[in-house]
Amino acid sequence: MTSTSTDQPRKTLPARLGLSGGAAALKVRFIGVIVFLALLGIAFSALTPRFATLDNGRSILFTAAILAVAAVGQAIVVLTGNLDLSVGAIMGMAAYVIYDIAGQNPVLQPYVVVLAILLGAILGAFNGFLVAVLQIPSIVATLGTLSIYRGFVSFYANATEVTSGQLPPWMRMLATASWFGLPAYVWVALAIVITTAVALRVLPWGRKIYAYGSNPKAARFFGLNSTRIIIGAYVAAGIIAAIAGLLLGAQVGNINSLLASGFEMQVLAAVVIGGVSIWGGSGSVYGAAVGAIVLATINNGLVLLQVQEYYRLLIQGAAIVAAVAVDALVQRRIHSATTRRRIMEVVE
Amino acid sequence: MRNVTRRYGWELLLVVLIGLAGIWSSTLSPYFLDPVNLLSSAQFFVIFSLMAFGLFPIVVQGEIDISLASTLAVGSVLFGQLSVAGVPLVMALPVVLGACAILGAVNGFLVAYAGLPSLAVTLGTLGAYRGLAYILAGDVGVTGITPDYLQLASTWVGIVPLAVVMVLVVAVFFWLLMARTAFGRYSYAIGNSAGASLMAGVPVPRTRVLAYTLAGAMAGLAGLVWVSQYQSARGDNADGSILFVLTAVVLGGVSIKGGSGRALGVLLAIILLGTIQTGMKLANVPGTSQTLVIGALLVGSIGIPRSIQLFRQKFGRNKPRASVRPAATVA
Amino acid sequence: MFTLTRQSSRRIGAAALAVVAGIVLAACSSTAPTSNSAGSTADANSLKIFMAPKFTGLAYFEVARVGGEQAAEDVGFEFQYIGSDKPEATEQIATITNAIPQKPSALVVSAIDGDAVAPSLKQARDAGIKVVTYDADAAVDSRDLFINQLSYQLAAETMLDAALLNSPDGGQVAFISASPTAPNHTAHVKIMKELIDSDERYSSLSYIDTVQFAGDDATKSQEIALNLIQANPDLKVIISSSAVSAPAAQQAIINAGKTGQVFATGFALPSSVSDFIESGASKAFALWDPAELGYVATVAAYQLATGEITAEEGQVIDAGKAGKYTVGKDGEVLYDKPLMFTADNIADYDF
Repeated sequence: MTSTSTDQPRKTLPARLGLSGGAAALKVRFIGVIVFLALLGIAFSALTPRFATLDNGRSILFTAAILAVAAVGQAIVVLTGNLDLSVGAIMGMAAYVIYDIAGQNPVLQPYVVVLAILLGAILGAFNGFLVAVLQIPSIVATLGTLSIYRGFVSFYANATEVTSGQLPPWMRMLATASWFGLPAYVWVALAIVITTAVALRVLPWGRKIYAYGSNPKAARFFGLNSTRIIIGAYVAAGIIAAIAGLLLGAQVGNINSLLASGFEMQVLAAVVIGGVSIWGGSGSVYGAAVGAIVLATINNGLVLLQVQEYYRLLIQGAAIVAAVAVDALVQRRIHSATTRRRIMEVVE
Repeated sequence: MRNVTRRYGWELLLVVLIGLAGIWSSTLSPYFLDPVNLLSSAQFFVIFSLMAFGLFPIVVQGEIDISLASTLAVGSVLFGQLSVAGVPLVMALPVVLGACAILGAVNGFLVAYAGLPSLAVTLGTLGAYRGLAYILAGDVGVTGITPDYLQLASTWVGIVPLAVVMVLVVAVFFWLLMARTAFGRYSYAIGNSAGASLMAGVPVPRTRVLAYTLAGAMAGLAGLVWVSQYQSARGDNADGSILFVLTAVVLGGVSIKGGSGRALGVLLAIILLGTIQTGMKLANVPGTSQTLVIGALLVGSIGIPRSIQLFRQKFGRNKPRASVRPAATVA
Repeated sequence: MFTLTRQSSRRIGAAALAVVAGIVLAACSSTAPTSNSAGSTADANSLKIFMAPKFTGLAYFEVARVGGEQAAEDVGFEFQYIGSDKPEATEQIATITNAIPQKPSALVVSAIDGDAVAPSLKQARDAGIKVVTYDADAAVDSRDLFINQLSYQLAAETMLDAALLNSPDGGQVAFISASPTAPNHTAHVKIMKELIDSDERYSSLSYIDTVQFAGDDATKSQEIALNLIQANPDLKVIISSSAVSAPAAQQAIINAGKTGQVFATGFALPSSVSDFIESGASKAFALWDPAELGYVATVAAYQLATGEITAEEGQVIDAGKAGKYTVGKDGEVLYDKPLMFTADNIADYDF
């Protein structure tokens, strides 16, 4: 499977071949996403004058902000060679449960973020426990927790809504605020992206995630504690997802138990387009964030061009396939000497 | 005897669970143990079963296909359009199955020959094929499907719906395919180690493409059943059902890492899920509890045996902890 | 590649297939087997009625449920609310299929896919169960009555009236629908376009031809609303007949800092738009009373089950305090009581 915590059948693939080559591939791949985004921008600007305006740029970034935050969390897990399909359910649970509690106990309103961190950490730790300790393949474990978490929210919600009046006023202000010419959400997202990127780069934990993801066997051989690394990744992803849920809840206003259902597909798409290798070990959170902006740009451009919904699905799907194809090409170029294997060559 | 319990341990567990679920369901609802009702409920799981069997060899090979429900939608919409266009049924069947097989083959080529990760590829085609289905269906979907296209759902063998018989035939087919043919052997080999299989002369890419093509055709078959059962051919047909399909395959003891799993397990898993869902629906258990139970079942059925195993390792015998974990075995 | 590895298994397989094929051919029939378990007869004292919404978990359906429960209490029968929390046609079909053996006297259903659920509803009718649809209709021959909250025409007019309350000078409007396969939404948009083209009252309005689809998803509704605002500088009103999309679009307008320049309206629960209306961000949203709709539909189902009415055109459903309604063509009953929520009356509604 492409997404497991242990021995991967695809060890021969370029993604597994050492860190230095991977780092080079990463850089090329990141530039690739930026170029793709630029090309998209040029194409849409040529097609409609409404695209290349400051206001529209702002609105693209605003729509991308929450997706980018969620994608960053997902990227951490994907870097370890695993998946988190429960991201949408965690977002929905955080938004509904926390805003409901804070709505009934206004004393708690300033601390919703603390509550989100707590709840996200618990839910993430449970995911991590299933994957790392019980060694249930991540796609299965998080598919299960997706149902469990979502089931819990609808159970808890009992078909009622948290209305915008119940939200903490400061969160609602944040959703509408604008700082230095950009929506506050964009700054919040940027802060989360940069913090995560720095943490992955500077903290030993972050370096271990890359090391483990690029070659789990070797990492264990060198004494890395895989259980702790994976649980850590899921806890971080859970916390980030819960915060994304708070942001989404405040943005949407009226929250029902279905909030963010199906969001995991968008998040995965952003991560894949952003060049985070689904096999683990390669990619960056910046890439994932840019992947979110690419998706938001496609959606925005197609609405501006008055294109029907059907084609949006088609184009988004094609973009995902194109992105992974480019990934494969780039990595093959870089490791051309080592990857000339039959399985890869047939296509060329 | 010990050998049998060991080898078919997972299937035996499923049988026990089915028994328990059956008892539980019959206490939940007095209507459960009526054969006619049971069989008509079984009809509802035909579509998922067909997709699950299609997905089965792919997962054995260590890959995945999450685009099958979208392929189904293309199939059902195409079938509907052919019916409205007055194409005879005998011509429509191969056209739909062929078209869906091609969609599957596209996935297969991207995975096998271009070497792309199957999850990402099928995430892309999940959207792309869904878009295609909407485009084919037009704004309101296809209506006015002719009765001859609906025969599949209106034929019974004794008291057994034909579609249910079809699932049993498909189950036998996949059992033979995976247990008795070269394709089956290759699939398990690839799932255990694609690299080693390649060295050993297994036609890896060809086997992969074949598995995806077959899965596409199975989704197409599910699309035919969809149209005949529901007389609806819309772009959003079966949207979201892939989670249930994947749950069935995994619960059937097919390791998502590849290399193991049997057709019997998949069939039993579907029966188990069907028993539980039917029981809860007959007892009008609220929808939220149904979601919770399925999720808990998925995590628990794999997690609980695993934690017992871990517990034994840690406390049962004071074996020194190995530096490399024992390989996880699901089946 | 499909070559069998053992000669014997080929024989086993062929034999198995032949046997199965033989049985299938010998025993094929095209009539549905019927259950022989004892069924309850329509005895007024032991009547039970099931209500199945599109899916559970939406506040709108919960309000309709309260109406159904009220009807059960007033008239005196057993009432049960059934359904899955997943917005999928297969789930609703399973719900209906599994309701049939429980032999309710009647089903009250809001169809998630009017064609797909039709066969299972027909099965229910064959088993002697009366079927009433509310909120969203199923195929005409699969139900006895459809309690239509608002005729498509009236719904379209109500939403355009709400749009004019928001933007008295008219201007450009855009539409957000749930999905291309939601027949009522599609019809609403079509009639609204025709009204804007032809009706004097709405001549100050113009519209953007392309309809966007948000699938009753709040997040997506917001993204689309935001993009619509960007795409169309002259846009004045976003209209949606989805009770999820309309408030979400209004929130998106507020988030984008366009309050007072662009408005969202359409159908929404008063509880989800009261903040907007009280703060003046929006002047008007519309709906009907879902509780009363649920009440009327459940009473109608009861009267069908007892034989008081037979769903023939011209018959009258007497729903007591909720009023009297006449059965129209094709078993359609128009409830037709639109509510317009404005700053003057929003506080009066508690759902």
